[in-house]
Amino acid sequence: MLLDAFHALLDVWVLIAALVGVAVGIVIGAIPGLGPTLAIALLIPVTFTMSPIPSLILLLGVYQGAIFGGSISAILLNVPGTPSSAATALDGHPMARQGRAGEALRIALYASVFGNIFSCLVLIVLAQPLASLALDFGPAQMAALMTFALIIIVLFGGGSILDAALMALIGVAAGIIGLDPIEGLPRFTFGSFAAEDGLALIPVLIGLFAMSEVLLQAFAGKQKTAPDTDIGPVSGSGTSNRPVGWLTLWKMRATLMVSSIIGTLVGILPGIGSTVPAFVSYNLARSRSRDPARFGKGEPEGVAAPEAANNAVTGGALVPMLSLGIPGDAVTAVILGAFMLQGLTPGPFLFQQHGVEVYAIFEALILLSIPCVVFGLAMFRGAVHIIKIRPRHLFPVIAILAIFGAYSVNNSLFDVAVMLGAGGIGFVLRRAGFPLPPLLIGLILGPPLEQSLRQALLTSAGSADIFLQSPIAMGLLAVTLLCVLGVIIRRYRHTHQGDAS
Amino acid sequence: MRSPRNRWLYLLSTLLIMLASPAWASDYPARPITLIVPYGAGGTTDISARQLARLAEPLLGQPVVIENRPGGGGVNAMRTVSRAAPDGYTLIATTSSPSFVAPALRDTGYDTLKDFTPILNYPGPWHGVLVNADSPYHTLTELLDAARDGSRLTYATAGALSGARLAFTQLGRDTDARLQHVPFDGAAGATAALLGHHVDIALVPAYRDLVKSDQLRLLAVLDDQPDPDFPEVPTLEQSGYDIQFPSIVALMVPHGVSAKRAETLRAAFSQAASSPEFAAVMKKLNQPVRLLPGDEVEAVIGKNLVAYHHLAETLKR
Repeated sequence: MLLDAFHALLDVWVLIAALVGVAVGIVIGAIPGLGPTLAIALLIPVTFTMSPIPSLILLLGVYQGAIFGGSISAILLNVPGTPSSAATALDGHPMARQGRAGEALRIALYASVFGNIFSCLVLIVLAQPLASLALDFGPAQMAALMTFALIIIVLFGGGSILDAALMALIGVAAGIIGLDPIEGLPRFTFGSFAAEDGLALIPVLIGLFAMSEVLLQAFAGKQKTAPDTDIGPVSGSGTSNRPVGWLTLWKMRATLMVSSIIGTLVGILPGIGSTVPAFVSYNLARSRSRDPARFGKGEPEGVAAPEAANNAVTGGALVPMLSLGIPGDAVTAVILGAFMLQGLTPGPFLFQQHGVEVYAIFEALILLSIPCVVFGLAMFRGAVHIIKIRPRHLFPVIAILAIFGAYSVNNSLFDVAVMLGAGGIGFVLRRAGFPLPPLLIGLILGPPLEQSLRQALLTSAGSADIFLQSPIAMGLLAVTLLCVLGVIIRRYRHTHQGDAS
Repeated sequence: MRSPRNRWLYLLSTLLIMLASPAWASDYPARPITLIVPYGAGGTTDISARQLARLAEPLLGQPVVIENRPGGGGVNAMRTVSRAAPDGYTLIATTSSPSFVAPALRDTGYDTLKDFTPILNYPGPWHGVLVNADSPYHTLTELLDAARDGSRLTYATAGALSGARLAFTQLGRDTDARLQHVPFDGAAGATAALLGHHVDIALVPAYRDLVKSDQLRLLAVLDDQPDPDFPEVPTLEQSGYDIQFPSIVALMVPHGVSAKRAETLRAAFSQAASSPEFAAVMKKLNQPVRLLPGDEVEAVIGKNLVAYHHLAETLKR
């Protein structure tokens, strides 16, 4: 079966589809606001007349390329091209500022490829058994998992735990705006129909991370922009770029593995997406590091962890889509439509009826890494020069891109207002020294946490036993509790030693 | 002999005539038509609308541009189109939820009957009453009996404002069955919850393969006609309950479009929707092609708008 599938790939159209798909994906992913979902949806009509394997490889190439492409603008401009690359910017952009843009991009590329290959291998070997794992996650288990993720971000996000908790709560509170997920009644919309959808993720993200950066620079005055102009000459061929070889990756093997496993597992579960695993693996890499203080200041592992995780989501998200016909996120929902148009209806019969096509697609997903690396490395040569552009020329462009990106999500001016508001709030919070990632994660996880908690209580008629009866939910809540206790004990010992000395 | 001033006047008046001509010329459509899809790109509504637009383009002689306006379960796009100029250049491909479910439940800022003129109804997937294959219930009656005699059964739907929810609430009231609604974010989540035994029932479309592979059991369909893939499974009405949730995908224009233009659109889109190419795509998407002319869609919407308003009123009490 695997060999038959490989033979099916030996076709010039497959090669063309892979090259075009990856190239389009990287470019679209790098533009803030244009994600893989939009790119794939627009390409679907193009694939009507193509045969199944090339057309799906084209679309999956866009998917892979876009997830990696998002990291380019995150690293170079501190503007995440896709939500999942927001975590990459935390260390990627400081590296670029230090003239190590080339190194950061290479690490992002290799970590992406690692995460992708890992999750595709998991997909090939374990698609069907893992699909049943996805089904075991009902409302109660999802509520426990999201609580776990929120607590991890707060505890290990670095900096003050109280600051992080405050930011996460603001994010969760902002998520309340919009229609109630259970009754469908509007909350805090002040009669505005546009607000009923709540605060859309991409405008908030662009505002918090990109617009606030523009405002910070605008208000920084001369003394703060001065260092930027110094960086210019250093970054070209990269005197401070360290070469990225096998040894670099070998040193990061634990981070790469852990992040890829997190990405794959979270990808399998519907509705979480790739942003949360990226931040969770970033924080775990930091908490495991011998020198956590280096994170946030240009630590290569801080780039590798989120990139491996968000690319590993690709393979994971395809598991429930292919074996059950249940898409895990917006992108896979679009890809599901493309599969159906090609006569490959995802679901229980797919592997029996179209085994060759499915395995050819799996193998292609792994082989797509080759054009990803080739295009990636070729683009870096040009892309790193972006960092040389003087801030006073660059930031107006970022501001325009931010407005354009916010508008393009839903073609709505309300989203532009949300983006500008988030930019203002982000600016104030950053100036005051608060961390923004917990706010973003709170906004992402808040609504599904509320929904799954209320769903769980609806199914159990209001009894909390539903959490105690499920081993998965119990396990997750126990680990969460242990993490909290661990941090409290460490703090206690720390202060105790401080007193003794 | 012409003075330069006259020449400018001549040029200006020609330009004005050129600009004004589409307004009174009878050759409608004279520019691209926008078809708004109230959901994200790539969903079944979007894919079928794109295919229909592609087939209608040669018939209309103008491009049909698809514009996705997701959000608010389709309500936002409906509101936008209800306020668009009624010149026949803006259409919407809307579904049951924003056309008669959401307006019955809350203020949406538009009146489906007064603000829109339906052109055509093309598909609408069947919604089933599904239970897990290892569930003890083999018929809808068995299930309702159990829910009457003490067991509290939970049912998953695609969302808080789904029409299936209202249909089942009514069923619960009519039969005194204890049915608890659990809304999910989309039909996929509701199906997964049923497959994982987190709920007892799911009211979802796109169930064919899961039923045929013996993972789920189909007890009834919520539509007014049986699903041709499962002709032996009854509708709610055939099971003895006067409730239905017809799922529609209707093409509509804002109210006020001239009858002539509406007829041009109707002819082109009906021909496109009856073509074998469209049928082939819909078959792959696992969706039926049930063409209804505009006035019949209007009747379906009108009837259900009243029914759902009534239902929503009783829910509030």
